[in-house]
Amino acid sequence: MIYDVIVIGGGHAGCESAAAAAKMGCQVLLLTLNIANIAAMPCNPSIGGPAKGHLVREIDALGGIMGRLADRTYLQMRMLNTQKGPAVWALRSQADKFLYQREMLKYLESFPNIQIRQAEITELLFNTKQEITGVRSQTGLEFAGRTVIIATGTFLGGKVFIGQTHFPSGPMGQLPANELADYLKNRLGIPLGRFKTGTPARVRRRSLDFTKMTPQSGGYQAHGFSFWQQLEQRPEEKCWLTFTNEKTHQIIKDNMHEAALFSGYITGVGPRYCPSIEGKIAQFPHKEQHQIFVEPESIDTDEMYLAGLSSSLSEKVQKEFLQTIPGFEKIEIVRPAYAIEYDVIPSEYLKPSLELRAYSGLFAAGQINGSSGYEEAAAQGLLAGINAVLKLREEEPLVFKRSEGYMGVLIDDLVTKENYEPYRLLTSRAEYRLSLRADSADERLTPYGIKYGLISTAETAIFNEKRTKIKQAMQFFVDTFFTPNAEIQALFQRHNLAFPKNRFSLADLLKRPEISLDFLKELSPNCEFEVAIVNEAATQIRYQTYIQKEAEQVARLQELEERKIPFNLDYDQIANLASEAKEKLKRFQPTTFAQATRISGINPADLTALLFYLENQIRKR
Amino acid sequence: MIFQDTIAAIATPIGESGVGIIRISGDNSKEIAQKILRSPKGEKYTDLKHFQVYYGKVIDPSSENTIDEVLFFYAQGPKSFTAEDVVEIHAHGGMLLLAKVLNICLQNGARLAEPGEFTKRAFLNGRIDLIQAEGIIDLIRAKTEKAHELAIAQLTGRSTRNLAAIEEELYNMLVAIEASLDFPEEALPEVEHDRLVKKTTDLLVRLKKLGKTIDEGRKIREGITIAILGKPNVGKSSLLNLFLEEEKAIVTDIPGTTRDIIEATIQMRGIPLTLVDTAGIRYTENKIEQIGIQKAEELISKADLGLLLLDASEALNPADYLVLDKISSRAKLVVLNKADLPEKIDLPSLQGRAIEVDTLVRISAKTGFGFDSLEEKIVEMLGLGELRVDDRPLLSRLRHQQAIEKAILAIESYLAGLQNKLSEDLLAVDLRAALEALGEITGKKVTKEVLDNIFAQFCIGK
Repeated sequence: MIYDVIVIGGGHAGCESAAAAAKMGCQVLLLTLNIANIAAMPCNPSIGGPAKGHLVREIDALGGIMGRLADRTYLQMRMLNTQKGPAVWALRSQADKFLYQREMLKYLESFPNIQIRQAEITELLFNTKQEITGVRSQTGLEFAGRTVIIATGTFLGGKVFIGQTHFPSGPMGQLPANELADYLKNRLGIPLGRFKTGTPARVRRRSLDFTKMTPQSGGYQAHGFSFWQQLEQRPEEKCWLTFTNEKTHQIIKDNMHEAALFSGYITGVGPRYCPSIEGKIAQFPHKEQHQIFVEPESIDTDEMYLAGLSSSLSEKVQKEFLQTIPGFEKIEIVRPAYAIEYDVIPSEYLKPSLELRAYSGLFAAGQINGSSGYEEAAAQGLLAGINAVLKLREEEPLVFKRSEGYMGVLIDDLVTKENYEPYRLLTSRAEYRLSLRADSADERLTPYGIKYGLISTAETAIFNEKRTKIKQAMQFFVDTFFTPNAEIQALFQRHNLAFPKNRFSLADLLKRPEISLDFLKELSPNCEFEVAIVNEAATQIRYQTYIQKEAEQVARLQELEERKIPFNLDYDQIANLASEAKEKLKRFQPTTFAQATRISGINPADLTALLFYLENQIRKR
Repeated sequence: MIFQDTIAAIATPIGESGVGIIRISGDNSKEIAQKILRSPKGEKYTDLKHFQVYYGKVIDPSSENTIDEVLFFYAQGPKSFTAEDVVEIHAHGGMLLLAKVLNICLQNGARLAEPGEFTKRAFLNGRIDLIQAEGIIDLIRAKTEKAHELAIAQLTGRSTRNLAAIEEELYNMLVAIEASLDFPEEALPEVEHDRLVKKTTDLLVRLKKLGKTIDEGRKIREGITIAILGKPNVGKSSLLNLFLEEEKAIVTDIPGTTRDIIEATIQMRGIPLTLVDTAGIRYTENKIEQIGIQKAEELISKADLGLLLLDASEALNPADYLVLDKISSRAKLVVLNKADLPEKIDLPSLQGRAIEVDTLVRISAKTGFGFDSLEEKIVEMLGLGELRVDDRPLLSRLRHQQAIEKAILAIESYLAGLQNKLSEDLLAVDLRAALEALGEITGKKVTKEVLDNIFAQFCIGK
């Protein structure tokens, strides 16, 4: 049988790819090194947070899996940034990692058109036109496919470092995918880059003294990540807070030479936002303490995760410094912290559709593209899955603009410029942050999900009803007027608020930042919309002016986004481009002028030259 | 610089010359010309013929006032210097006039050209052949690559440091916000609200002050005004005449005054200076004269520098004190005239009248003694030595000022937001706008700077 889509890798990217393609009616083969590790969380079993939580909402709005599974498997759920404005409100969940895996397997198995198989793929098969035709496994089995998505995560050329020891390995002691790495490097000639990441030790819950730590609760959440289901209320598992101290730091300093990170063995580049404890102490020597969150991983395990303590020190030193931390005096390590190096595809080999430039029908998604994080991987997996199907249908790929979603920001950043470290999405990377709110993800992306058949009829009905209600609520705010009288004045005074002199609407009041929604409710008790609807409608009104400001700031960018650069432009024709610019433009093949502006090493003179060349081409035609 | 809009600039070197050329290039050149040019009879040009030279006048369309009588021609692209539609206006030389004509162009749809932009367009449009191009390419590249460096070099050393310090503090504010938004679970240091308001207020004052020191752009565009003050017969006219002899001034009368206020434009170190001989401050009962005196006082208050002329050969008298009390110019320089005669003036009695006695210069308007040191002092006090006169300062300073004005507006909005306790996601929009604006001068890219700073300043990570 010839599969429509073959997915190599059953992590967060691969699972989303498989499900998206299946929803779009394709025959899918999902290949994984080990079925027991489908959708595993080898680092912190946490989903969401700023930008990442936004991404999960977008994945969900587009018809992906991550949001719904996170909602069904959480141990704790917390809304972050509640004091900082709706654009950055971000849900973060601590997932039961085993439950998440079981739910994912169940979900994928529910599709009759997804076949899941355990196999190590060592070779890709092409026809003479460089079009993908299938894959071959280590045991010589061949699978024919019209498109292939590589989503190998940190397994590709994986190498683990613990102190002075290092050995080829995937995460969590799994087998690495070395032969496939060799194939990509030596047979396809892709100059793979090398990135590094790491994870802290897992320790035994019963060995910890929680009386010396502060409990952290997520609190009640009415809504989860998903737009399509009610949030099931699950019993909460607590996280715990403790701190390192001078003794901890001294032990680490004394053994710094032993850390793999500083030993010179590691060539891969690690992420700045995820430093090891020894890295933090080296960079911030005057910081007296570092916070450590002790987090549950599953109700089915006694292991706990030590957030803040990723390390490449030897197991002996790890135990020694851990014992100095309050509550860790009798700590038992179950799995040591380690650093892991893996291969990544250079960004210039990727199209914005996540298809490889040189190989028709071959896509890549997730950490192999230089990203980090489950959410970033899942988003890419979803888009690669959709685009593989669109390729088969001979339709235009789905490529979001930076103004449409964090997904747009993520993909654009990944494929149009050099990434020097594993890429993590941050809200500060988004030029249109105020518009890209988690609450508006469905408004922005669900129409695409409906268009491509990723959203069910029932979900479409939920979407339409919600959008209608929000419109009604906004209209209600605009249309509900009050004429100041003694009673209203008294209400304002009771709340210590300045009193409007003239007739005013609820929308007028919303423009005043000090007016809370609770106050509005008191003023206008006949508002019958549910809280989530009121919140989103109110935010839209409140943010109007600033969203306009943001729009003005990026208007120029928008104009540049709309200037397309023809595919396969011969940059050698442009006589006065600097050679560095030529080389970069050839490498990255930007599709819009805005992308060209974001490539490092291309300066204004080059951009002007490029622009004038393009304009002249248009005039000549 | 990336858009193909219509650009305009003074194409001839700044300085004294009989004729100066304003060049406009781009799709709207013709339209702009039709807006701002009139025939000698005041009629609009319904069409302009390719390469025909016209005699007409530049007007300000908002008031229909005539600015200058000019010759001009229109060249239709690609048969022009830049291969775009071009209009060249040949006006009378002299910085003030040319700047006025340029301003009219800018107000009517043109954008100020970047340094070398005409050449660049000519080159990129294939107007200049390969051999020329190879010679020019290095120049173009050098100009654009060094543009920021140059822009910064053009600010005086202190302004650059001030700007860098202000920018750094704004970055600290934005970075603190961005770090707290993206890493809410890290124990990041919190900034007290009141301190932030105070700091921002302070930054705003500093930036406004900096905007004023970058006023050099204004000085070049509008010229610098120096008021000559002093009691009757102290030698004001002689001093003015001395300037005229030395600097070949153009003298005009200011209408509407009975006692003549004489205005003369000279070039000093290439910068246009307007000298105003105020003639008139003294006691008078004559109402018409009083109006003249009021006018003189107005001029003095607007002047960049007041030259207070005192007679060194006699003691200060009430007429001197009257003038002393009226000095309200931005800077003051005491000039002791008649230094060829024995000195009788009682200098210590000037103390307490807001006059720095150590900034005085001794001259003799009659013999010309001391004129060089007077000129040096003027150059020093007005910072003329720091104004570099080539084709660049005029352009970039205008941009600097616009950038700083944009930043000021954004910070004012940020401050208002702080005071209204707006949420951080909104505050960040204004701070980013301010930094984007300053980035037009310093060349910093906000998103990259913010991320680099977050990781450099805060210990972040799981």
